[in-house]
Amino acid sequence: MAERIKEHPILGDIKKGEPVKFTFDGKEVMGYEGEPIAAALKAAGLMVHRYTKKEHKPRGIFCAIGRCTDCVMVVDGVPNVRTCITPLTAGMEVKTQYGVSDKPFEEQ
Amino acid sequence: MKRYDLIVVGAGPSGLSAAIEAAKKGLKVVVFDENEKPGGQLFKQIHKFFGSKEHRAKVRGFVIGQQLLDEADEAGVKVVLNATVIGLYQDKEVVVKLGGEVVHYKGDAVIIATGAAENMVTFPGWTLPGVIGAGAAQTMMNLHGVLPGKRVLMLGSGNVGLVVSFQLEQCGCEVVALVDAAPRVGGYGVHAAKVARTGVPFYLSHTIVEAEGDECVTGVTIAEVDSSFKFIPGTEKHFDVDTICLAVGLSPMSQLLKMAGCKMEDNPKRGGQVPISDSYGQTSVPGIFVAGDVSGIEEASSAMIEGRMAGNVAAEYLGYIEKDALKEELDTLDKALDGLRQGMFAPSNRGKLIEKTDEGIEVSQSLLKNGYIADEEIERFPGVVRKVGVHPVIECTQNIPCNPCQDACKKGCISIGKNITSLPIVVDGSECINCGMCVANCSGQAIFLVDEDKGDGSAEITLPYEFLPLPEEGTKGFGLGRDGKVVCEAVVTKCRSSKAFDKTHLLTIKVPKEYAMKARFFKVS
Ligand SMILES: Cc1cc2nc3c(=O)[nH]c(=O)nc-3n(C[C@H](O)[C@H](O)[C@H](O)COP(=O)(O)OP(=O)(O)OC[C@H]3O[C@@H](n4cnc5c(N)ncnc54)[C@H](O)[C@@H]3O)c2cc1C
Ligand code: SF4
Ligand code: SF4
Ligand code: FES
Repeated sequence: MAERIKEHPILGDIKKGEPVKFTFDGKEVMGYEGEPIAAALKAAGLMVHRYTKKEHKPRGIFCAIGRCTDCVMVVDGVPNVRTCITPLTAGMEVKTQYGVSDKPFEEQ
Repeated sequence: MKRYDLIVVGAGPSGLSAAIEAAKKGLKVVVFDENEKPGGQLFKQIHKFFGSKEHRAKVRGFVIGQQLLDEADEAGVKVVLNATVIGLYQDKEVVVKLGGEVVHYKGDAVIIATGAAENMVTFPGWTLPGVIGAGAAQTMMNLHGVLPGKRVLMLGSGNVGLVVSFQLEQCGCEVVALVDAAPRVGGYGVHAAKVARTGVPFYLSHTIVEAEGDECVTGVTIAEVDSSFKFIPGTEKHFDVDTICLAVGLSPMSQLLKMAGCKMEDNPKRGGQVPISDSYGQTSVPGIFVAGDVSGIEEASSAMIEGRMAGNVAAEYLGYIEKDALKEELDTLDKALDGLRQGMFAPSNRGKLIEKTDEGIEVSQSLLKNGYIADEEIERFPGVVRKVGVHPVIECTQNIPCNPCQDACKKGCISIGKNITSLPIVVDGSECINCGMCVANCSGQAIFLVDEDKGDGSAEITLPYEFLPLPEEGTKGFGLGRDGKVVCEAVVTKCRSSKAFDKTHLLTIKVPKEYAMKARFFKVS
């Protein structure tokens, strides 16, 4: 995971939960239990969380505090989950959201 | 419906301070905050704060947050987290979303301390993944330990843009440019200078033309704007970046007050829609009070005082303290708040162009335009003197409410005086013992220890350093000027760390003596 801070000059080691596996669009990804799903995705270099319903435009993390809804995804089958404030657990199935579905537009 | 004497909404510095004060006076107090962690903005702030000892200056933001929490705990305040307040009614009924549940509470008094939300700007491509708010960058790096990006462009030169740029660099990101449409840096000069000297170029009177990329940000174009903020053709500049960070101001989150029927006003000096209130936070609805950024964007230091004021006023409103006792408390707090609201960045000076310091010294124009003081400007400030032997050089040139440097020097070398916003001076005839406390305690990283002539053609400069890895003794590299450009060769002769320095390390570098007053940062070659 290239995009994690290894040691911070002021904060030192940033405390993390247990390492866990989850899936992003079916592919296995590693993260830490309890961190926001969005943080784990970001650390893995995954930027696009969803595509908008009308214009099919990509969206990713914007506010990171649960206000803007840009980061919503389909998590364990539930759409519109704000991944920036939803804690990661082992085995979660996280999927890109197309409109309000986890199916790409051409399959909808 | 559950009842409390006082319900506080928001567990930031103002809300917690209000709750502590009221609980100490005997009120039964609950604080609701929507976050998983209390402390509001403080928990994302890792720099040493400005102010004076009474305002917890030189303590890092997240540590202040922890201190307030401990005090709240001790005073018997109940803090409820993951609790979003979604309704407030005139009769002081508070509606809270707790997990999936909606719960109603009744307060005899209510203090709204909800802080502020980030402003946004739009430009082509602004919705692309990789365009993020400055707050989001802080949340990612300082709370979750994840890099917000590798190459970042920062939009906004207020204190938030400056502080977050520095924090990005501290965790290993490269900040390729700091951009602002305004013609002058908006934040404290000392914050700007510590960013500029690491090599971040400032583009004032510039803004974003377009963010580029299909799936996410891959680049950005900026261009210069004229005085009516129109792009000047031919001034475009392109940067390859993966992240664009927006720090374009904060607006009070005052919706709940409006909902409760408090009289509101649009006040640009306070940052937007704010409730009309007296100077102690009483709104137009008796028993509903405000404190902190929600009543006008300021600082954590003032938010804490406003919180204490509101806590006391609420205690008197409910009959827990007498009018006399209240007056006594408020008089002291008034004085403290007054002290903070002086100087160039006082709320009453917002938007004004200030050309001279209170001492009558011309302000550095280069600092306002480029983020650093020009070599030819530096020696006109009273903290910059030439002397034989090791001595402090204080590059703090604006009237800001801050004075830890004065307290740090036990040898009396540094003085600010009674007025907390005066410029620090080097006291005539004082003897510096090279202890380094001033360098480590300066919230603005603006103090250097300089030995201008070691007798062998070299000079030694000690500078504050908060990056990893720490260069070891003997490391060769370059001295960077205030503008972040290489000015000379340099070698590390000492690196001091100590508990008293609180994670600010003191790097001593040796440079040719002509660069004693020029080199201000070190880069490994
Ligand atoms: C990058 C940066 C650097 C800064 N540096 C300094 C500095 O050096 N010195 C200094 O003094 N100040 C500094 N500040 C400013 C300081 O952090 C703020 O002024 C201060 O935190 C304001 O305090 P507050 O209590 O009013 O609001 P906040 O700290 O914003 O707290 C408000 C809290 O209320 C919660 N809330 C809002 N609405 C609701 C709701 N409906 N229900 C439940 N909870 C809610 C919020 O989530 C938040 O936790 C800095 C700010 C930033 C962003
Ligand atoms: S190094 Fe020590 S003695 Fe010298 S000015 Fe700083 S605090 Fe004072
Ligand atoms: S020199 Fe003194 S007043 Fe200026 S930023 Fe540093 S500690 Fe504050
Ligand atoms: S990023 Fe804004 S809600 Fe998640």
